[in-house]
Order: sequence, then C-alpha cells, then structure tokens
Amino acid sequence: MIFKMLPAVEGEPQILARIDDDGKCRLTCTAEYPEFQAWVAEGNEPLPAEE
Amino acid sequence: MSNLKVTTINDKDGGSNAVLYGVAAPTGSMGFRNRILNGDCRIDQRNAGASVTITTLNGQYTLDRWNVNTNQASKVSVQQSTTAPAGFTHAALVTSLSAFSSAAGDYFGFVQYVEGFNSADFQWGTANAQAVTLSFRVRASITGTYSVAFGNSAGARSYVATFTVDSANTYETKTLNIPGDTSGTWLTDSGRGLRMWFDLGSGSTFNQASANTWTASNTLRTSGSVSLVGTNGATFYITGVQLEAGSVASPFERRDYGRELMMCQRYYYRLKSEATGTRMGSLFCDSTTVATALVSFPTSMRTRPLSLEQSGTAADYMVIAGAANPACNSVPAFGISTIDCASVNLTVASGLTTGFGGQIRAANANAFLAWSAEL
Repeated sequence: MIFKMLPAVEGEPQILARIDDDGKCRLTCTAEYPEFQAWVAEGNEPLPAEE
Repeated sequence: MSNLKVTTINDKDGGSNAVLYGVAAPTGSMGFRNRILNGDCRIDQRNAGASVTITTLNGQYTLDRWNVNTNQASKVSVQQSTTAPAGFTHAALVTSLSAFSSAAGDYFGFVQYVEGFNSADFQWGTANAQAVTLSFRVRASITGTYSVAFGNSAGARSYVATFTVDSANTYETKTLNIPGDTSGTWLTDSGRGLRMWFDLGSGSTFNQASANTWTASNTLRTSGSVSLVGTNGATFYITGVQLEAGSVASPFERRDYGRELMMCQRYYYRLKSEATGTRMGSLFCDSTTVATALVSFPTSMRTRPLSLEQSGTAADYMVIAGAANPACNSVPAFGISTIDCASVNLTVASGLTTGFGGQIRAANANAFLAWSAEL
C-alpha cells in the first residue's frame, strides 16, 4: 500500500489516493486521515501528483 | 410484605382509569439502556454478510461498530452469521485462520468503542462512578475461560473480567458486573468514552494477574484465558451484547432496525447503488472533464469524515448531465466534508458542459460511496 497525491485544486485541501497492493485505489482522503498519518509516521512519503 | 397477584385492576366504574400510587419508577433509564450499538449484529453495511479477513492492523471495522484490533494480519476472519440463539437473527462470527502462537506483544481483540457522550452518565473517573452490567450470548468451539476487558481512551486504566464457556458450540448467556472506576480520565465527549475488548489471544504483555480489579495499565486478559487464534478453525460467535448502567442485567433492549441503522450511520455511512442506473447524488459540472457532487448524510456523523471509500473501479461510476452520460475515468475522490454532507469529485475523459447540473449514475450494482467517522 502507498499513498499518492491527487492534483491540487486551489482553495481545496490536498487529497491523497491510497493505492492498495493490487494497484486499485479504494480510498481517497485528506492529510488529516489517521491511516495516512500513521503511514507517514513510519517514514513513508506520498508519491507526487501526476501532471 | 404481601404479594399482590391479580389479573386486572379497574377503576370504581369498572373502567381502565385506575390510578396507582406508591409505584416507584425504575431508577435506570428506560430509553437507550444499551450503550452497545448493533449489539444484536443485524447491521453490516460494509460487507453485507460476507466473510472478511482482517488484514488492516490496529483496527479494522467489520459488522457496524465492531472492530478487530490486532497487530497481526490474516489471523482471523469475521462474518455476520445467522447462527443465532433464540430471540436473535444474527451474530458476529470470529474464526481463527491458523494455529498462531502469540508473542508477548501481540494483541487480538473483538472490540467496540463507546462514544463518550453515550457513557458520560457512568461518571467513571469520579467519586460517583456507577457500576455497569455487561450481558451477552456467546457460542464458542473451545470451552474454558475467556476475558473481556474495559479500558479508557489513553490505555491507562483497565478492568479484566472473565467468563466461562461451558459447552462447545452451544449458545450460553453470560452476565458480568463491573464496578465503576473512580480513577483515571474517561472521555465524556465525542471521543472514545470506553473500550470493550473481547480478547482473542493477546500476548503476555497484556496479561492482568488478577481479574475483576481496576488497574493503572493497559491489560486485556488473564493468563489462563483461551487463545482463539491459537487453534486453526476455532470459532467464536457473539450477539445480544448489552452494556447498561447498574448492577442488574435487564432484557436485551430491542431497538427498531431503522433506528439502529441510523445510530450506526453516525459512525459509518455507505451509500449503495444496488442496481444499474440508480442515482447517488446531485452534481454540477466544473469543466468538460470534472464534476462535483454533494451528498447529504442521513444523520449527523460523529466527526467530519476525512476519507471516501468506493469500489476501486472507475467504470462503476458515471456522470449524467444534459445529454452527456460518460463513465468516470478515475475513481470518485474525496472533496470536502462537514458532519452533515460531503462533496465528491468525479472525472471523465470528456463530454461535460461547464455549469450543467447532473447526477452521479451507478454503472452497475457494485458502485458505492462510503464515509467513516468511527472511533
């Protein structure tokens, strides 16, 4: 599982996509989401958004 | 003291307007006696009765409000079961998927967190702490002593009670009295008011030397308790779970299905398409490729959701706006939320008209949108 940034929208919070091991995204979230924060706390960094 | 036994009591005219004096009202609340939500396991928004293997560490929700908390993936599965005792239609079934020897620091629990607003009247953490009573029906393939632990949000207070399963694969009713805790900090707001943990085989780090006493620790079981995860295929069914104020177990509180569902939706709401072509929310087109929908929740959620779940397949979702009806080419994405509604961002390859109104259209029955505000 990894997290990847979605393209930013001005004035809106940064949204992240959780990519599961099978390559599917079943969840999107803000940076406040506890699972994302725990993943970052483990030393991980989200992939940047695609242009 | 006399014991009056009569069939009817009538007024002086033979009618039914007699007034009774000196009949004390019950001291406990007559409404919302049971602080456990989905205690009879009827609600399963996430999995609709399908078995789910627990792969998410440190908290994966199964049946509504019921969580498996473990640090080991794929050791148990949970399923809503129709193998239920008399008076109930459903139970939660926990199945061990291996013969796992727990290391000292491993933990496995079938857990429900009670919101602080719903346990505040227990007054735990004060000199006026109230006793509570836990009752439930349990059926297990392994006989012996099991543990159920209560703790606070900080993991700094614990009480381990034990119960015995006397006969394998047979429903038994258990009742446990828990004295109120006069120490520690117990939340009385929208946070975790208390944790109720049915232990499935945690390691020795979490052993409590003696049951039935409050300690300043995070203990989950007694050393002699059954380890369900230690036996491949072992099963543990539970239903009719009720936690109430006072020292007497009253009959299981029957709440109507709609009310129980709404109470669960405060913590998790899944909007299901159920059929091809159903509409799942109104939207407007931001551009030729992006639309924003707004979905209202059926009840105010506990907190503002921070995520959106969906099927994982973009083509399960379509945007219908004017003559256009394109399928999404990205999965719906979380936008922004309040406790009462959330926006959803939908992306298509082309074909929308900026400013047009429209709807989210389910391309099939797999489409769903879900928001969580679990404890």
